[in-house]
Amino acid sequence: MKINDSLPLEYRTEENSNKIFGFWLFLGAEIALFSTLFAVYLTLWNRTGSGPTGKELFELNGVIWETFLLLTSSFTCGLGIHAMRLNLKKPMIVFFVITLLMGLGFLGIEITEFVNYVHEGATLQTSAFLSSLFVLLGTHGLHVTMGILWGAGILIQVGRQGFTDETANKSFIFSLYWHFLDVVWIFIFSFVYMKGLM
Amino acid sequence: MARLFPIRHVIGYIFSLILSVVGLGVVFWDFNPTAGLWILIVCALIQASLQLVLFMHIGETDNKKTLYFNIAYALFVGLVTIFGTLFTMLWGW
Amino acid sequence: MKWDEFFVTGEPMIYAAMVSIVVVSLAILIGLTYFKKWGYLWREWLTTVDHKRIGVMYILAALIMLFRGGIDALLMRTQLAAPEMKFLDAQHYNEIFTTHGVIMILFMAMPFVIGLMNVVVPLQIGARDVAFPRLNAVSFWMFFFGAMLFNISFVIGGSPDAGWTAYFPLASLEFSPTVGNNFYSLALQISGIGTLMTGVNFIVTILKMRAPGMKLMRMPMFTWSVLITNVIILFAFPVLTVALALMMFDRIFGSQFFTMANGGMDMLWANLFWVWGHPEVYIVILPAFGIFSDIISTFSKKNLYGYKSMVASMVVISLLSFIVWAHHFYTMGAGVMVNGFFSITTMAIAVPTGVKIFNWLFTLQKGKISFTTPMLYAMAFIPIFTIGGVTGVMLAMASADYQYHNTMFLVAHFHYVLIPGTVFGVLAGMYFWFPKIFGFRLNEKLGKTAFWLIVVGFNTAFLPLFFLGLSGMTRRMYTYSADTGFGPLNMVATIGAFILAIGFVVLCYNFYWSFRYSPRDENGDPWDARTLEWSTPSPVPVYNFAKVPNVKSMDALWEAKVNGVPLYEEGPYEPIHMPNNSGQPFILGVIMFFLGFFLVFSWFIPAIIAGIGVVVMLALRSFERDHGYHISPEEIAATEQKLRGDSV
Repeated sequence: MKINDSLPLEYRTEENSNKIFGFWLFLGAEIALFSTLFAVYLTLWNRTGSGPTGKELFELNGVIWETFLLLTSSFTCGLGIHAMRLNLKKPMIVFFVITLLMGLGFLGIEITEFVNYVHEGATLQTSAFLSSLFVLLGTHGLHVTMGILWGAGILIQVGRQGFTDETANKSFIFSLYWHFLDVVWIFIFSFVYMKGLM
Repeated sequence: MARLFPIRHVIGYIFSLILSVVGLGVVFWDFNPTAGLWILIVCALIQASLQLVLFMHIGETDNKKTLYFNIAYALFVGLVTIFGTLFTMLWGW
Repeated sequence: MKWDEFFVTGEPMIYAAMVSIVVVSLAILIGLTYFKKWGYLWREWLTTVDHKRIGVMYILAALIMLFRGGIDALLMRTQLAAPEMKFLDAQHYNEIFTTHGVIMILFMAMPFVIGLMNVVVPLQIGARDVAFPRLNAVSFWMFFFGAMLFNISFVIGGSPDAGWTAYFPLASLEFSPTVGNNFYSLALQISGIGTLMTGVNFIVTILKMRAPGMKLMRMPMFTWSVLITNVIILFAFPVLTVALALMMFDRIFGSQFFTMANGGMDMLWANLFWVWGHPEVYIVILPAFGIFSDIISTFSKKNLYGYKSMVASMVVISLLSFIVWAHHFYTMGAGVMVNGFFSITTMAIAVPTGVKIFNWLFTLQKGKISFTTPMLYAMAFIPIFTIGGVTGVMLAMASADYQYHNTMFLVAHFHYVLIPGTVFGVLAGMYFWFPKIFGFRLNEKLGKTAFWLIVVGFNTAFLPLFFLGLSGMTRRMYTYSADTGFGPLNMVATIGAFILAIGFVVLCYNFYWSFRYSPRDENGDPWDARTLEWSTPSPVPVYNFAKVPNVKSMDALWEAKVNGVPLYEEGPYEPIHMPNNSGQPFILGVIMFFLGFFLVFSWFIPAIIAGIGVVVMLALRSFERDHGYHISPEEIAATEQKLRGDSV
């Protein structure tokens, strides 16, 4: 096994360095995936049929909170990786726990938002606009959910084993994923909510 | 404590908050739609690059050329899908 | 749901199929038990992470699917052989052309290509395995169980019947009320995810796992084509994922993406499908180009003409492949700008493809050509594929396409690119690399007999379709009247189809004959070939290379043979690190199969349980600590001694 000590722990073995590289490629595929969902949304967004429009539906407060939580969680996730590179286990765990809690907060607001929409009679079945809205937001939300489960699993491993080649590698890959979800949210914030309310 | 908050990350965070507020601005101040859309596009792209460079450290290894190429190819396909679909299904009639 | 809705009923042919499925399954179970092969099957195949075995399983699955799809084709041709045939009814005919298309493209061409990639690429670049062997097994089982889920629709629930393109509104719940198209969306989804992971895996493998000195511009052309193919896979398959998910939401959860009311847009499906679909065409054709390049250069005893332009043309094709998709629906009614733009980009693709054709011809020029079976396929490919390509340029012209659209002319065109391109390509590759995996060649005489039957049969079957299309026969019509005048040419086409089928039977017989009687290969290089994979003993040991080769030029093995440049450094063997086998990928595949199956029938509670099962499997993998094992130098020496009869 080739080991290169000049790199951060998560890159040191060839296999782990390949994993990070492979994950970047996967994120490239995710860009294509979300682009397709945006293509669908932007094609259908004013085809509201007999249902409500975005302007009638969206509530700014929830969106601002969601954005704040996700941006901050991306920041704390980055700090967690920074702490890991300083080999500080406890701060890293604290930062990651904050990250995941904010992710949960985000999900809570999003689910409440969905429930409100449905109570107002805006469901997946109502119109093409709402179908594409629910699926775009839902795909992002599902990614966040999977991220929370995944991150929690990694935290347990870091807690038990400390920083090893493997746990450091997993934590770093998780951080890439989490930052990426933040990037996707920025586009949802801008081109679904802000554009819709404009 | 201070070393837990590296300057690159803090700057990145502050910038992303500012850019989000600017994005919010298009709703609060009545821009014309085209100008508003451009502001949103520019802000979103800057924010995405901030995340890539400051938080995700895209340029930190020898792979960086391949990684930039990967993102560029993904953006090419993504933008072609979005604008090609709009062109074919809406604008091109 | 009643039982008679669950199982497909009322068709004698399907009852016969059900009986034969039960009989064959029982025979396999009894055979495995009687010969005590369960353990062998589980240990050596179902849990394997070895790229060579995974490749063999891909190819085996592809061959089985080739026969399923081929029988569909024969049924269709029989129905069309003469006017007013009563062999199949309209509904049955719809189902058969749908499954024929889906199976041939997604469950035959794709796995065959991916199987060859698996077998060959790590060997060509001097690697011990792919970058992520475990993920590779997951990819395979996702593909496999996706394919099984699709095939089961034949007897349970009913096959999809809206064409392999599944255009809306035809594929909507309103016009396709059976669960057939649910099978379509879920089976393709599951195998598509597997393919996407293959994409990631092979890009990392080729970019990161090459032997020292194997620069990008020294790679064999097949490896280059695989790299570019996987780049296309990586960025095209997510579009399919989304399109299929939206179809599933429309059909199972009542959303309004492609409906005719509430703002839905039916043609948006066609748009998304082809945003993926056109790159998909290049995903199945580029590896074939790579295979032909390697074969033509090997059997002309020359290095490939215009290596750099070959690479450049593939890069250009990969970019262009993403900006041509709307040529599949010129007749939708889009404006002049749209059709004009896509006409021009489509015609532009002919340029890099033409470059490749000329490069192959110049490689042949003044070469010492030996006409082996793989070479025959390569030689047949060039002219026949050109017919397919030129008719493609005819179709590319939007205004002319209004005449050809959805006629047999189109059917003839895409069979003229896919069969000489992809099918000849993978068959040539199979004959070529077969001795690497099994240690003996397939019989040349039988191989050539099959080749001639296939080439003659193919042209007899598809050339008439160009003329039928031009005289107005549309595709997908299940019968026609005698006064259309379509009868005679259709009869010729049907005869051709049966000649083609006999060719495939001979091909199968060749496996049987060669396994029994073919002389075993001694030195691992039966074709006197040029690239690294032929420097290993055949069959290739599990670790591929006892020592990592040292590459100093293009066609490194040829250099070693002709100029005596040593491939391997002197010195003792070092321990080799290998990954452990695992049953998890297989189990994950089984769970995905059930998840898909339950969703097809909208059985949500079992589906949720299966979904939780998937998450549990992912968690198990995350918490697993498996560092593989090492093969000791003594063991390597013993293996090499046994396989080569000497030491390296």
